[in-house]
Amino acid sequence: MSILGNKKRKVSDGVPMSSTADIAFLLLIFFLVTTTFPKDKGLSIVLPEPGEEAQVSQKNILHLIIQPSGIVDVKRGESQQVVQMRASEIEGLWRQEESQNPNMIAAVKTHPDAPYKYMVDVLDALKSANAVRVSLQILED
Amino acid sequence: MSIKGGGFKKSAEASQEVPTSSLADIAFLLLIFFMVTTVFQTDRDRPIEWTEAQAAQKIDEKQKNILNIWMEQNGTVFINDQPHTMEQVTTVVAPLYAASERALVISIRGDREVPYRFIDQLQTALVAAGVVRVVFATQLEQSIQRERR
Repeated sequence: MSILGNKKRKVSDGVPMSSTADIAFLLLIFFLVTTTFPKDKGLSIVLPEPGEEAQVSQKNILHLIIQPSGIVDVKRGESQQVVQMRASEIEGLWRQEESQNPNMIAAVKTHPDAPYKYMVDVLDALKSANAVRVSLQILED
Repeated sequence: MSIKGGGFKKSAEASQEVPTSSLADIAFLLLIFFMVTTVFQTDRDRPIEWTEAQAAQKIDEKQKNILNIWMEQNGTVFINDQPHTMEQVTTVVAPLYAASERALVISIRGDREVPYRFIDQLQTALVAAGVVRVVFATQLEQSIQRERR
């Protein structure tokens, strides 16, 4: 309502900088909230190449047969003697077996109806015992 | 250099407030750090019950070279939010594997109760696609839980 009309408005000739910190903090909080640092963990295995099959002497194989109940039948090579174990006992068994025969291969045979977690338990035990040569198979009749 | 009166005039006055002029710089530094390190997850998590393992190790590969294959309790396979049949897995994975110059790591994220037959079928499909490096994704088992079991 200025009747005199003396215009004293001064237009700033710079970009307003006072809100940059606010914008920065807004973006900062957004990225803080959305950041997901890679935390994937797991038991790594190496699959064979297609068509690759290795012949292994029976005396170097330790058969670990996982039943649907989670019980593991342990069988050495050709012998028919079966020892029943729990997954937590495999670690000690493997350390013992490998000290006797460094060429030992763990053949993990899982029953088709056995839950996946039992296979992971056995694989975990083998990995804990630093087993390198592990073969994952499905139990055939 | 003559000082009359023989003495120094102490005129240093300590400011009573926290200096805020560098606040914006700190904010921008943090902002740029988080912008650079942020990796947006490419696929959404499926509702599965994780398996647990003590010997689990970090996957030693860049995030973009990890492909998640989810397997639900009924044996349904999910790759990049899309359901697939077991027969499709080879045809889906093989081009992705070739595109990554054979660096792709498959992270199998299976439900703990899924029957092993499905995992075996998945492994067979991955072998057919030429994949070599596979990780059974697990969560780290606490030793206390193990004692209780």
